[in-house]
Amino acid sequence: MTLTEPATADPLADPDAGAAAASPAPSADSATSTPDSAAQVLAQRIVTSDGAAVGRLFVAVSLLWGLFAAVLAALVAFGRSDAVEPAELFSGLNAYFRMWTLYRMSLLLLVLLPLLLGVAMVVVPRQVGASNLAFPRAALASFWSWLIGSVIMVVSVLAGGGWGALDGVTRNEGDAMALTLLGTAVVIVALLMGAVSLATTIIALRGPDVRLLDVPPFAWSMLVASAAWLFTLPIAVANIVVIYADLRGRPAVAFGRAEGPDIWLQLDWLLEQPAVYLMAVPLLGVVAEVVRGVLGAGVGRPEVPAVIVGLFGLLAVGGWSQDYFTAPQDLRDGLVYVAFGLAAVVPVAALAGFVGLQVAQSRRSVPQLLDLRIIGAAAALALLAAATLAGALRVVEPFDLLESAATWAVFHGVAAAALLGAFVALVHWSDELFGAPVSQRAAAASVALVGAGGAALLLSDLLSGFIADEPDLMALALDGKVFLNVVNFVGAGLLLAGVAVATAGVAQATRAGTGTAEASAVAQPAAEQIAAP
Amino acid sequence: MFTTGFKLFFGLFGAFVLAALAYGYSTGGDGVGPLSLGWKGGVGDHIGYTLLVALAAVSLTISVVLVSYRDADADAQARLRQLAEVPADSAVTASVWPVLASFGVGAAVLGLVLHPLVFTLGLALVALSLIEWTMDAWADSATGDAAANRELRNRIMAPIEIPVIGALAIGVVVLAASRIFLNVSQLQAVAAAGVVSSLILAGAWLYVARPGQGRRLVRVLGAVAALGLLVGGVLAAVAGERDFEHHHGDDHHEEHQESSSEPTGGAGSG
Repeated sequence: MTLTEPATADPLADPDAGAAAASPAPSADSATSTPDSAAQVLAQRIVTSDGAAVGRLFVAVSLLWGLFAAVLAALVAFGRSDAVEPAELFSGLNAYFRMWTLYRMSLLLLVLLPLLLGVAMVVVPRQVGASNLAFPRAALASFWSWLIGSVIMVVSVLAGGGWGALDGVTRNEGDAMALTLLGTAVVIVALLMGAVSLATTIIALRGPDVRLLDVPPFAWSMLVASAAWLFTLPIAVANIVVIYADLRGRPAVAFGRAEGPDIWLQLDWLLEQPAVYLMAVPLLGVVAEVVRGVLGAGVGRPEVPAVIVGLFGLLAVGGWSQDYFTAPQDLRDGLVYVAFGLAAVVPVAALAGFVGLQVAQSRRSVPQLLDLRIIGAAAALALLAAATLAGALRVVEPFDLLESAATWAVFHGVAAAALLGAFVALVHWSDELFGAPVSQRAAAASVALVGAGGAALLLSDLLSGFIADEPDLMALALDGKVFLNVVNFVGAGLLLAGVAVATAGVAQATRAGTGTAEASAVAQPAAEQIAAP
Repeated sequence: MFTTGFKLFFGLFGAFVLAALAYGYSTGGDGVGPLSLGWKGGVGDHIGYTLLVALAAVSLTISVVLVSYRDADADAQARLRQLAEVPADSAVTASVWPVLASFGVGAAVLGLVLHPLVFTLGLALVALSLIEWTMDAWADSATGDAAANRELRNRIMAPIEIPVIGALAIGVVVLAASRIFLNVSQLQAVAAAGVVSSLILAGAWLYVARPGQGRRLVRVLGAVAALGLLVGGVLAAVAGERDFEHHHGDDHHEEHQESSSEPTGGAGSG
């Protein structure tokens, strides 16, 4: 005997749910009531039990946070460009440092991970044959906890908190800093809750004839990514708990104090190799899936991308690289760290080779291959390849790049690649996500802008790393020659423009999709009336 | 007869009992001490033994609850309701409790830094939400009929929810109104109480006299009044009470008397 899967009880949140959700279980709400006012529709969207609707909430809010993070990126890069003193731009060097760290943490925790998670919540259940996400209420709680945690995190940083201070934490900064730490912990736990829902869907709610290795590449990459997040991010929460207890209780280590270790240096491993690759694991799935979708199924062996994604996910598990128990220098000069740094190039290169082979075997002409999704996927993969190469250079000791701006070259390369991959996913699955396609013009512009911006950021940071000498914490933020800093600022500006265009495109598609759903909702009763006599 | 959930938790109960016995005897337990919960003889290491026995007790309780409610067992549902076919699982209904639990977490986090009261309220909201969430989840899988599930849930939870919500509402009204009355002057407090009483009387009359229109109007007015009371109470609590003069009598008890009621005629600050 088999139990039927739970279906969505929230038909309004998902306009085309009727076509896709083939669950035999009836929808509780649709059977009993239909919302008759805008307030009721809004209330249903807020308390929805439809995993896809929760995914859309994640996508929408993370894109807005993306705009915020991109504005911060541009401001921080402007402060580096010699046109203005960083201290004047943000009322002091400490404030500049806060924004510099906020931008990085926001990009990871408020933009990239939730954006990819949101897309997956919409797409993956249908890909594996499930009618809804597993634990849809937990997914809803994950969205709201993430949203509340992110607001606490950002507001507390703007109010003088943050992840440490350059000249030691003062009593006044302590409270706001504690809030920043707690907000960060809530955000991470919320994302993990969403990841658990998603991973459970792939493992436990697959269709009866779907083997785990048969699931599409994106679903597989999200399973690998969820596992990697679950193995890594709780370590950051543990770090935060230790720092919080030390900050608020009787200080044992004196984190953040002038005489103690800096708070930021306890958490920055999240944004460095190997953990920085956490945000790019789903990108490999997006690339494999998009290429397969455009070229048609049956080209190449399906197990190959699964193995490649699995290997990359393994190399992204980075909890061991946090340096609370081991001196940073010992850890980063160690063989394991160097091996992880070098090995990360292999799966990316392997996927590039596999995709190239697929394209060659497909015997398509060049104009046929000039599909925006293929171009975007190729650009994202190229950026990721460049970032992993920069990462490989960074861990080679003779180059002396470990404590230089090359760290941020890797971060920017991976982040821009992941952002590009997420935009390609939004375009590829726009009908499922928004009910209407994203405008080709907006999609092309955002892909071009983010690709160019990411490349500029990566190159300027990498070259700055090569010419740096004895950088300290602040120098990492301000390092570089004037020309390179200007290139960096231009890159951040392009990134901002790309995110803005993508957000506008998504908003337009959502409006069009909502209009289509409303039109069909109006047309349906009319058709029933005609058929009734 | 036994549901899947029961088998799992009853198995856990057995495993924890065995673990507690093994742990008790291997850490110095003697005689029948570990078997009799320490009634005759020692149990060995108290902390570990207590922890394992507690886990066993929790597992047993959960298993009994699960088998009593035939939880998540389609076969048991069918037999219980004497159906020929196994009922399908009903849909997961929309629920506000995950959202409120998230707000509770947010409040608890803010309270950790800002004020212990906010922290406690946040935790209380989380606990309440988790209980309600659990009941919603249980009711969703009770039968294949969403309406019957809702009724089943309400039959268990309404006798608890209505008195608790009523008591909370009364508490909030009393607290907020008292903050407002203690903030304004004595005269203003009396006037405000008179106006509010009159409005309540007018609302009640409208409710009875014009059942159709009146109910909707009273509902809107009630929502506005509740919001006003809440906002006014918070603002008044922040602003503090009006000035009182403290008098110490012969019995050293503190008495509160407003300055406006002093025989010398001193005016209240209002």
